[in-house]
Amino acid sequence: MKELFPMKQVMGFVFSLLLTTVALAVYFLDLSLTMGMTLLLVTAFIQAAVQLVVFMHAGETKDRGAIYTNVYYGLIIALVTVFGTLLCMIWGYI
Amino acid sequence: MDFFNRFAIPHPSPAIYASMVAIGITVIAVIAGLTYFKKWGYLWREWLTTVDHKRIGIMYLISALLMLFRGGVDAIMMRAQLAVPENKLLDAQHYNEIFTTHGIVMIIFMAMPFIMALMNFVVPLQIGARDVAFPRLNALSFWLFFMGAMLFNISFIIGGSPDAGWTSYFPLAGTEFSESVGSNYYMIAIQIAGIGTLMTGINFITTILKMRAPGMTLMKMPMFTWSSLVTNAIIVFAFPVLTVLLLMGTMDRLFGTHFFTTTNGGMDMLWANFFWVWGHPEVYILILPAFGIYSEVISTFARRNLYGYKSMVGSMVIISLLSFLVWTHHFFTMGQGALTNSIFSITTMAIAVPTGVKLFNWLFTLWKGKIEVTTPMLYALLFIPTFTIGGVTGVMLGMSAADYQYHNTMFLVAHFHMVIIPGVVFAMLAGLTYYWPKMFGFMLNEKIGKWSAWIIAISTLLAFIPMFFSGLDGQARRMYTYSESTGFGPWNMVSFIGAAGLAVGFALIVYNIYYSTRYASRDIAADPWDARSLEWATHTPVPAYNFAILPQVNSSEALWDAKKHGHELFPGKYEKIHMPNNSGVPFIMSCIFFVWGFSFVFSIWIPLILTTIGIFVCMGLRSFEKDHGHYITVDEIKETENNLRGA
Amino acid sequence: MKIDNSLPLEYSTEENSNKILGFWIFLGAEIMLFATLFSAYFTLVDRTGTGPTGAEIFEIAPVLIETILLLTSSFTIGLGIHAMRLGNKKAMLTFFTITLLLGLGFLSFEIFEFVHYVHIGAGLQTSAFTAILLTTLGTHGAHVTFGLFWGLFIILQVKKRGLTPETANKSFIFSLYWHFLDVVWIFIFSFVYLKGMM
Repeated sequence: MKELFPMKQVMGFVFSLLLTTVALAVYFLDLSLTMGMTLLLVTAFIQAAVQLVVFMHAGETKDRGAIYTNVYYGLIIALVTVFGTLLCMIWGYI
Repeated sequence: MDFFNRFAIPHPSPAIYASMVAIGITVIAVIAGLTYFKKWGYLWREWLTTVDHKRIGIMYLISALLMLFRGGVDAIMMRAQLAVPENKLLDAQHYNEIFTTHGIVMIIFMAMPFIMALMNFVVPLQIGARDVAFPRLNALSFWLFFMGAMLFNISFIIGGSPDAGWTSYFPLAGTEFSESVGSNYYMIAIQIAGIGTLMTGINFITTILKMRAPGMTLMKMPMFTWSSLVTNAIIVFAFPVLTVLLLMGTMDRLFGTHFFTTTNGGMDMLWANFFWVWGHPEVYILILPAFGIYSEVISTFARRNLYGYKSMVGSMVIISLLSFLVWTHHFFTMGQGALTNSIFSITTMAIAVPTGVKLFNWLFTLWKGKIEVTTPMLYALLFIPTFTIGGVTGVMLGMSAADYQYHNTMFLVAHFHMVIIPGVVFAMLAGLTYYWPKMFGFMLNEKIGKWSAWIIAISTLLAFIPMFFSGLDGQARRMYTYSESTGFGPWNMVSFIGAAGLAVGFALIVYNIYYSTRYASRDIAADPWDARSLEWATHTPVPAYNFAILPQVNSSEALWDAKKHGHELFPGKYEKIHMPNNSGVPFIMSCIFFVWGFSFVFSIWIPLILTTIGIFVCMGLRSFEKDHGHYITVDEIKETENNLRGA
Repeated sequence: MKIDNSLPLEYSTEENSNKILGFWIFLGAEIMLFATLFSAYFTLVDRTGTGPTGAEIFEIAPVLIETILLLTSSFTIGLGIHAMRLGNKKAMLTFFTITLLLGLGFLSFEIFEFVHYVHIGAGLQTSAFTAILLTTLGTHGAHVTFGLFWGLFIILQVKKRGLTPETANKSFIFSLYWHFLDVVWIFIFSFVYLKGMM
């Protein structure tokens, strides 16, 4: 039975629950917008990284270079799209 | 009767009725011909169900040429309408429909499949693979593209064409200002084709990363393969944006949401924003494979290896990233502040640097080369100066302050045609001529080919250079007529002459195909151009399995090495070859998609639900299917190889 | 077909390893799909027109339950893949079934949530904000729904055909898909709900 619950994955799960709880602080505590957003950004991206490495086995074969390049490239362009859109649509009217 | 009224065309004209009749007669003739010559079985077995990348490539090619005709007719009609002031050839509505469909057809249904055609045919051969990574997905990609194109093209005889420009900006494209189903066609047809393109992107990246011949490291790939890899990476990250955008547009038009309306919080410019987040990378999806073709052609006919291989690769990778960083330059005049415009101005102008690197690399390859001016080479040589005109005017447009002067004038129209025609169209014609012998087993006539190259190049200049001037004089794009006092008349007349010249050039290409099919020698070698990469190392016509023995590579010019340095390309002996089975599912599923799209366009909900279920049933069946492909035995390979060697 | 026994079953043929890489690239495209939805959401979040704002309609309890359900299902499918690599078909099927049940639970809560929104006057046509909210959540929900059917088909195949290179490969790819949906949900949870209620 024990071999069905590898330590790494159990810890990953506990860690992700922990991160969710930390993120909940922005709801229960009265944080400033900057503080709250920083907290959310940090917890969300760490959570994503946990999923990627622990559960999705991204780095286990020799294709890891291609897989990580793909994910990072997607991430960069995703961030450019989100922030570029905000710049053009909301922030950029000075 | 009410039900059928929706299929009527809102703005009928004799030309449209004539096309209806012509389309009807063509369809009947095709069906009758297939039945009379008993070719239905052949069509189904050899083409509709094929998963062979070479045949899919050829089907892409045929579709692209058909769409080139459709888009070309639109172009001629536009130029004819504008040739003289106060012309009455087309009314405003008809003109709107034509410039809209011209843009969409040329970009999405002509240029894209032309690129896909060459990519499909060439890339697996060039990397020494037997097919793409997912052959059946490849067939599905083609058929989805094809059905999307067909759905878009029936719009002008059933229900009316889209008329809000190829960019389809809201609120103009919303239900308030575009009441006909035209813009629904736009949303749905492009969605279907776009899904196909996205799958091609995934397929080719996997193919190029995983299926290269032994010894071919990434930095030993031929340049066209590199350009395909980068292009497909852009496709994978740009097309999802289009998917979401079209979904939102569809919801605005059919489900009454308020994404792009001017009420209830909607934001019309958000459409423009996302359109160009996809649309600008799309420009590079078109141009990079073209650059790849030029690299192949120039190094083959300068008889030198490509100058600056690493800088070529590097500049393409940089272009692929920068292409996602510049989209706002399409709407500098929207009203955002100086900071935003400055940022996007700088990134825009930065793209000129890697592009310039590529141009100089080609020039240095030509330098001291033993240049042989064949038709493909002629296109490449004509491309360099004409493309530069388009490129530097792009830098002018990229300066946001100056752009207030150029925005939405014919100057812009001149710029992007001067980029796309020499960049993409010349490259595709060069590629077509260059790869024609590998595809069909005979060469196109060189003399007619060169004539058409010159006519097309000169006509391009005639058609678009005048627009720079009339644009600077203030002629706005998309205006269906103008008064004589504006003085635009002579410029537009010259443009019309250029457009007619282009038509002559393309007609000459068609004639060349006819002439060469009839008279060209079938007795050509596998490598008629004395070329450098692997696609010329196999037989002509290419056997189904491409290579009897997988090639062993140790440089970026494997065949040249084999020819000049005696490198052993095909070591080892025959082994049985695993091949994928043909399948009718991609074709059937795409047909269901066609009905799905049609029902969606006209909001006929019951067939829409049924076809949606049908699509998922196809996917479910695929999940449960056991399909292990088949083997070609050593004896069969020997027989094929002996036959081909004899020929 | 050449089978390489030094690798896990799901990677063991060339075709299998191609499929896994191809699916990763598809996930790259999915990143962009959701990034576009998020861009639109952030742009339209304050454009509520005459409709309600996020703070007025969001409730923490159902959202938290949805999050826990999906996080746990992501954990159990990870265990399912681990069991698959041990060759324990029974345990694997159990974990996969638990995963799908948790997914079904998530989906029920989400449907309940949607009905509630429409009921309190935050429907698809109310404002730009409600439209993009329901579209973003709906796209994720549609992915989960698709995943439920897909997962069910895979369970049936593993049950019938056993653990072969083919079924193992399908199961692994499905697990990638499911983990990815969890990642997307984390971002929805953080930047749609928590930020909206902050």
